Amino acid sequence: MTEFVQYLVNGLTIGAFLSLIALGYSMIYGVVRLINFAHGDVFMIGAFAGFGTLTALGATGGMALPAIVAAVLVGALTTGAVGTGIAKAAYVPLLSSPRLALLISAIGVSLALEEGVKVLTHARFKSYPNALDGGRIFSGAVHVTWGQLALVVLSVVLMAALWLFVTRTMTGTAMRALAMDRDAARLQGINVERLILVTFFIGSLLAGAAGVMYGLYYVQISFGMGFLIGLRAFTAAVLGGIGNLPGTMVAGVAIGLVQSFSAGYVSSRWTDVIIFGLLIAVLALRPTGLFGERVVERA
Amino acid sequence: MRRPAGAEAAVRYGGWPLLVALALAAGQGLDDYALTVAGTILVYAILGLGINIVVGYAGLLDLGFAAFFAIGAYTSGLLMLKLGWGFWPTLPASIAAAAVAGAVIGYPTLRLRSDYLAIVTLGFGEIIRITVVNLEVTGGPNGLTGIPPVSVGGRQIVLPQDFFYLALAFFVAVLAATALLARSRLAYAWRAIRADDTAAEAVGVPARRVKLLAYVLGAMVGAVAGPLNAAQLGTVDPSSFTFLTSLMILLVVIIGGMGSRPGVMIGAVVIVALPEVLRTVQEYRGLFFALLLILIVILRPQGVWPYRPRRLRLPDAAGPAPEPPSAPGTLLEVEGLSRRFGGVTAVDGLSLRADAGQVVSVIGPNGAGKTTAFNCITGMIPPSAGTVVLAGRSVRGLSPHRVAAAGLARTFQSIRLFDGMTVAENVLIGRFARDRGLLRPLSRADLDAVRRCLDFVGLLDAADRPAGGLPYGDRRRLEIARALAAEPRVLLLDEPAAGANPTEKQALMALIARISALGAAVVLIEHDVALVMSISDRVTVLEYGRTIAEGPPAEVQDDPRVIAAYLGVPDDPETDLVTEVLR
Amino acid sequence: MTSPMNQPAPRDRGRRFRLLTATGAGLLLVPLAAACGSDGAGGSGPIKIGVPAPLSGDSASAGQDILAAAKVAAAEINRAGGVDGRQIEIVQADDQCSAQQGAQAAQKLLNSGVVAVAGGYCSGAAVPAIPIYGRRNVPFVMDASTNPSLTDTGKGKVFRTCGRDDNQGVVAAKFMTGELRAKRIALLHDNTTYAKGLADATADSLKQVGGQVVYEDALQPGQSDYSPVLTKIASTRPDVLYFTGYFAEAGLLMKQRRQLGLKFTLMGGDATTDSTVLKTAGPAADGYIATTAPLAKDLPAAGKFVSAYKSANGADPGPFSVYEYDAVKVVAKAIDDAGSTKGPDITEALHKIANFPGITGPITFDEKGDRTDPLYITVRVRDGAFTAYKKLDKSGATWVDAKTS
Repeated sequence: MTEFVQYLVNGLTIGAFLSLIALGYSMIYGVVRLINFAHGDVFMIGAFAGFGTLTALGATGGMALPAIVAAVLVGALTTGAVGTGIAKAAYVPLLSSPRLALLISAIGVSLALEEGVKVLTHARFKSYPNALDGGRIFSGAVHVTWGQLALVVLSVVLMAALWLFVTRTMTGTAMRALAMDRDAARLQGINVERLILVTFFIGSLLAGAAGVMYGLYYVQISFGMGFLIGLRAFTAAVLGGIGNLPGTMVAGVAIGLVQSFSAGYVSSRWTDVIIFGLLIAVLALRPTGLFGERVVERA
Repeated sequence: MRRPAGAEAAVRYGGWPLLVALALAAGQGLDDYALTVAGTILVYAILGLGINIVVGYAGLLDLGFAAFFAIGAYTSGLLMLKLGWGFWPTLPASIAAAAVAGAVIGYPTLRLRSDYLAIVTLGFGEIIRITVVNLEVTGGPNGLTGIPPVSVGGRQIVLPQDFFYLALAFFVAVLAATALLARSRLAYAWRAIRADDTAAEAVGVPARRVKLLAYVLGAMVGAVAGPLNAAQLGTVDPSSFTFLTSLMILLVVIIGGMGSRPGVMIGAVVIVALPEVLRTVQEYRGLFFALLLILIVILRPQGVWPYRPRRLRLPDAAGPAPEPPSAPGTLLEVEGLSRRFGGVTAVDGLSLRADAGQVVSVIGPNGAGKTTAFNCITGMIPPSAGTVVLAGRSVRGLSPHRVAAAGLARTFQSIRLFDGMTVAENVLIGRFARDRGLLRPLSRADLDAVRRCLDFVGLLDAADRPAGGLPYGDRRRLEIARALAAEPRVLLLDEPAAGANPTEKQALMALIARISALGAAVVLIEHDVALVMSISDRVTVLEYGRTIAEGPPAEVQDDPRVIAAYLGVPDDPETDLVTEVLR
Repeated sequence: MTSPMNQPAPRDRGRRFRLLTATGAGLLLVPLAAACGSDGAGGSGPIKIGVPAPLSGDSASAGQDILAAAKVAAAEINRAGGVDGRQIEIVQADDQCSAQQGAQAAQKLLNSGVVAVAGGYCSGAAVPAIPIYGRRNVPFVMDASTNPSLTDTGKGKVFRTCGRDDNQGVVAAKFMTGELRAKRIALLHDNTTYAKGLADATADSLKQVGGQVVYEDALQPGQSDYSPVLTKIASTRPDVLYFTGYFAEAGLLMKQRRQLGLKFTLMGGDATTDSTVLKTAGPAADGYIATTAPLAKDLPAAGKFVSAYKSANGADPGPFSVYEYDAVKVVAKAIDDAGSTKGPDITEALHKIANFPGITGPITFDEKGDRTDPLYITVRVRDGAFTAYKKLDKSGATWVDAKTS
């Protein structure tokens, strides 16, 4: 029983990351209809930008908290800029090309980011300063650390901010309109290209923030860190009904729980088989994901 | 006017024998390293020909194709190591195993859109890879080692040169098989579902079966590469079948050009030889490769050697026209047809009758439920209640392609042609409602029908032009020709006059009259009341899903409720919209 | 009104196309030109030794460390006058840790006229390469592939300066049950050839020395969060957890074990002694024990190599750099002994080598090509550094301090 609770706590922590990253996939898909394969690597760039900031500022003693805040901000803004730049350079020129060309471009960008960072870091791991090694909240049979709590709270805050942005602002409304019908949105005077770039900026911002949080929590980062988590986040986005933001958040947490419980009760070796098997089963029964997509397919 | 067939074939297919001859010569001249790389290129070319069926022809995105490569390699390797089979008998076994796997992955994904396919196929690829790594029988992470070399006529294939020739033989065999496949009716069906699967299904292509066949046949072709690769390396290493491998295989077709066999060859050379060339840049190898990839896609989004549609060789004169449908009397009988979406009843108790040779029209303001009624009749959406009887046979609840095969053809309000295909090929797809054969070449009857239908609507001269480039009026006529190729008993036309000028409308009216003269029943949805009243035998008026009037044009015209509904009698959908908003 | 940003004018687009084409052609030509330049002739020129290693791909850092060590060894030999008056030339080939690339790298090396091969990292790449070298009778001295089957099936033409997984498994089993007095032992690997091989070998040895394996399973590398796996392992109440995977996961395991407040001893295999684990785990690394061959800094003879490596590369050598250095050195010695650059002669000379003074200890090969001397000791993390801990004495039964040799 205590193990069950521990798995639950661990699963929620993992799920918080997955949700944050999955939202970027979901938003970008909604607006551009592109599976942004590079999204996991944008997350990785965020982790490295935060690492650079922390290394420059130093994260010890009284400087720890301001340095951490600075690292999250720098990481998020860097990836925001990188994401927008990628969209401008490699996606916008292909908007009128076949969809597959866009997808391949995304794969190319993903490989380029990974390989670029690999060359710059000589394929070595980097370790964040152990800044979040604070105490535990509970340390009886079940262990919960302040780091875990901070992480989950920050994720929830970011997701709530995104939700408010998408539902309460003009830009957010325009984004949802664009997701429904690009041509109609254009006719309504929406600057489609600008809006696509804004979407990439926000989606990448979230991924970057998640990257720094990841670095702070897990400490060890590398050029390849975005692949597996990106894949799972993408699975979560599809499972929740891609384009459907609340569905994506829920599915992200669900995948986190599956990852934790499968390691506990089956075997970590079979985690991906279980996740993908679940995905295939859900899609076979509900072709638009658990919660249905919010993207209207024009007949 | 047309070039003789032989000369064209020589131009079109001359490249392959030349290439094979060159390869045979190269096998003598190249050193071991170059031959090993060339052998790998051929392995990837075979994989490329396999995924070309799935992605290139049928347009189904597959990010897990390495699974079939793995299944082929493991099946062959296990049979050789555990059961002591020779190499050759394992080949059909590998192909069969992959075919089963293709059906397993194909079946649950048939209803999914292409973006979902991406993640599902990716997941399938990972499931296969992780499973072989986890199981003991497959050697776990070590994979299979000590696979005996292939022996051909007592000669062991171990040297790179021998292997290169073996791979070349495999490649030529697979190339020939896929070339035959490319000329089958199935290949046309694949290209149609790739362009627009809803429209293809509606004109009689059994879309799900066709998609499933794409997975199965693609998997079978790709599986051939597995045993070949295992024989080349003497080992099956599970790390050879990662997501990255699937990506590389996909890139073979995307770089080359989807659906294009020469493109596959070019793609395989790029994918295998480029990293070899980039060996000297060491750690920058991956980065250079990624940047070149983006560059290629931005410069040539269609691929380096895009597919060019083959000209259909139509007969010079059409054969005798088919017998007109022999059943006069009532061809279409719809009773009490209803369709509800949540709380909204879009169609409420519609009844409709059309006899042979009649033109029956359905009119009504936008949102009256006309197109929904059509979609219920043709099986695109299931009706909530009511019956649909076609020439004495109930077709309610059948899938669209079965309804089409039963003799009901349709056009779409927003024209849905297969844009990547030629005009003649578009008409050819209409033939699937008549003749459901897939794995055989086009018949004389197919080509006759295409010629006759194009002639009928006056598009024969445009036969070899891409459908996407036709002017608007011609696109309408082409859609009608495609419907006629099914030799339908009932033809449903959804707003065929929308956007037409008066001259075009006149021509359209004449065309409809000629169609009904052939003995078919024509059902028309139209906004142009004048046009409807002048050619219809009977008119049904819908408002908010309910029938408010029904009868011969003269009676309907004077019905006060119709006049009320049609205040101002708008003949333009745009103004129609305004009147609706005003009310 | 159209924005000038949206659609480039046709002329503009044409220029962009030309620019991109030129860039593309340039990118393609650079490596081609380099390739043409690097192809030297064999014969009476320098003696070529092939070094296959993963120079790109996920294991690139390990491959680069190996290649750099080979170059240090070659430079040292050449400064001392070469072999029989001829210079040693290192020919590198990227195998990307894959079977396909491994085979192609092997052909590439044979093509450039190498007389012997010293290198490799992943056994997956070595497996298809071994018969390719074997057919041309070119000896292959491996520096890092520890899988027992490689020399077992190598027909005497394959050697290694590193140890074997089964040897390490014996040492690990004896240490856990003997020195640590552990009864219940959990084995964790990552489902790679190396890690699973070592875990299986350890499980076999434990059976013989009377330890109980309460858990043997894999984690998934790259996942970063191993708390669920650790929670699961804790529920089997082990005395020791022996992790046979790589360092990237080892550091995270140490850290997360501490976060979860778990008490069992954490041990690892010889792929976990990278300094990254110390940075990642921080104070949580303290007390971590690994089975490994002696570390370069503890090898008295290696000091010169380490400083030469540092001055050439500006970084510390990797875990397999010393083995690669010894592999190149022992090959050079064999060529010198044989007085010939013919493969069979070098192979024969390699078998005859006895107590060659390598920096990893004296090197003698048995008939399979494995080293005759036992290699493995244990090291422990103390004050943020790996330090030599215990080793088996000559009898193979009692553990003594590794420092006092």
